[in-house]
Amino acid sequence: MASENTLKVKIEFGGGLELLFDNKRIYDLELPATFEDDQPSNVDFLIRYMRDKLLKERVELFMEKDTIRPGILVLINDTDWELEGEKDYALKDGDEIVFISTLHGG
Amino acid sequence: MSSCGAPAAEGGEALMQKRQKYDKSKNCVRCKDNIGNIVVRHAVYCKNCFSPMIAAKFRRGVEPYVNEAPKGRRRLKASGNILVGLSGGVGSTVILDLVNQSYFAPRTDTPGGKEHPRFNERIWQKGFVCYVDISAVFPNMRDRTNEVRNAAKTYDALEFILVRLENAFDDSWWTSVGGKPSNSELFVDFADQDLLITAISDSNTDPVAALRTFISALPTQTAISQAIPTLVRVLLLYTARHLGVSHVLLGTSLTSLSISLISSISQGGGFTVREESDEQWMAPGSTTPIRIIKPLQDVGMKECSAWAWWHGLPVVQKEKLPGTGQDIAALTKDFIVGLEKDYPSTVSTIAKTCAKLAPKHGSVRRCLLCERPIQEGIDDWLTRTSIRSLSIGNTTPRFSTARLTPSLCYSCHTTLTSKSSRGATKSTSSFVRLPVWLSAGLQSAEYSMFQIPDERDQPAEKTSAKDTEVWQTRKIGQQEMKHAIGDFLIEDSGQ
Repeated sequence: MASENTLKVKIEFGGGLELLFDNKRIYDLELPATFEDDQPSNVDFLIRYMRDKLLKERVELFMEKDTIRPGILVLINDTDWELEGEKDYALKDGDEIVFISTLHGG
Repeated sequence: MSSCGAPAAEGGEALMQKRQKYDKSKNCVRCKDNIGNIVVRHAVYCKNCFSPMIAAKFRRGVEPYVNEAPKGRRRLKASGNILVGLSGGVGSTVILDLVNQSYFAPRTDTPGGKEHPRFNERIWQKGFVCYVDISAVFPNMRDRTNEVRNAAKTYDALEFILVRLENAFDDSWWTSVGGKPSNSELFVDFADQDLLITAISDSNTDPVAALRTFISALPTQTAISQAIPTLVRVLLLYTARHLGVSHVLLGTSLTSLSISLISSISQGGGFTVREESDEQWMAPGSTTPIRIIKPLQDVGMKECSAWAWWHGLPVVQKEKLPGTGQDIAALTKDFIVGLEKDYPSTVSTIAKTCAKLAPKHGSVRRCLLCERPIQEGIDDWLTRTSIRSLSIGNTTPRFSTARLTPSLCYSCHTTLTSKSSRGATKSTSSFVRLPVWLSAGLQSAEYSMFQIPDERDQPAEKTSAKDTEVWQTRKIGQQEMKHAIGDFLIEDSGQ
């Protein structure tokens, strides 16, 4: 369990996306519970955190125009992020976020 | 109550309201009870309903094509075996799983006991998984054969078959799949629009070297991205014929299909647009066709990825070709994938619209490279409408009259000859060995009207008695041109 000011989030990669993140499939992150202007940390904050702290190469393969690149499926606790408000989803302690690249064809 | 005024004038933000990605509620549209897990083209499905929905779409894509006479007996029985093309990508991984689950894995969920005929009678007697390794195309490409083989091992009811892309230039492979061995290897000059052919006996070219020469002689990066899937497809088809296969299943998803449709049309493949989604291939000399089915053509890449993730399937991933990214196929892919994110139904519309297209005239011949139908009269049409050569000062005499051009469809001809003002590949050789099936096709009775000169009979200095006409392209002056057409000019009356 994280402290009051932090929250623990597990992120996982699929479809080859782990290659951009040091070839590591799972990360357990401890993130601040709030960011800028005391807003609760959300997925927007998480992806910027991933870009700045975890991404090892070629940001354009992960992000496009400040969001996740088209062709990457995001599951928040096994649910499509489109059902959870995408970038605006407020992270909760123990959340599991999966990023799957769908770009490797048929 | 909402206002119709301009938001900026009313002090609000002048931003368009973000459209919700799903219709109605977050509940599953099928069971109506569970909270949804995935949005599929604006419709919400829970995990429990998602898998049966995909499996049903898959079966709907396969079963109408199983029996030779679709309106005959109700029981499904194919005339041959089944072959699944496995590339290591998500679509083919999903389709392999679905084929195994639906038609090969022992079923325990249906009544009738273990001795019931439904457990003993398969629709296809044998199943094969075929992987075409393309790692020999360029040096330093990773060979993923072992990873793919391990992924396929899970499905022990289906036999793993390995084919390598260089087999397209390998006579021993060609003979092993029932091809007729040719007396001489045929080479073609890619630098010439007519693709003049020369035969060389006993050249013993190494298949890998021949493949690399073929690829490096292609004029553009787009041509490389187009030629490799063509070679893979035809290798799969000849392998299927040898294995007594009646149905080849490919994991082309709705997204991949839309990409290949747009990409193919933009590269001159409009005549065979139907074959992109539904194709029957008749092997030379055969009487029964092989049906190429793409049962995931109503299932997007997103759904395929979700299926693979939720079923724990090992997706090996396809090896990326070096240098790709700015070719037509890659640019089309970027466009369609971006479109799918915001307008997923439009991607489906592309496939559905293309499915309604049909060529105005039929075809009586097939292209010897891609084995798809050729538009009739293509050569005449090209002569009338296209600039056939960009180099005016070419004075190289042509010593061969055997042309490959009439045996190719417009798309393949464009792939082999269409040069770009930028992004051209560096060719190391202009004479390139032809794939084995193309050589065999040219030497067959059907194409015997194209005389193929043998290099030994035809030294560079002279032509054979048969081919006395020597073509030469040179720049001529205005006076000479006027003289040539002088008899047809109408004299100026002075008015």
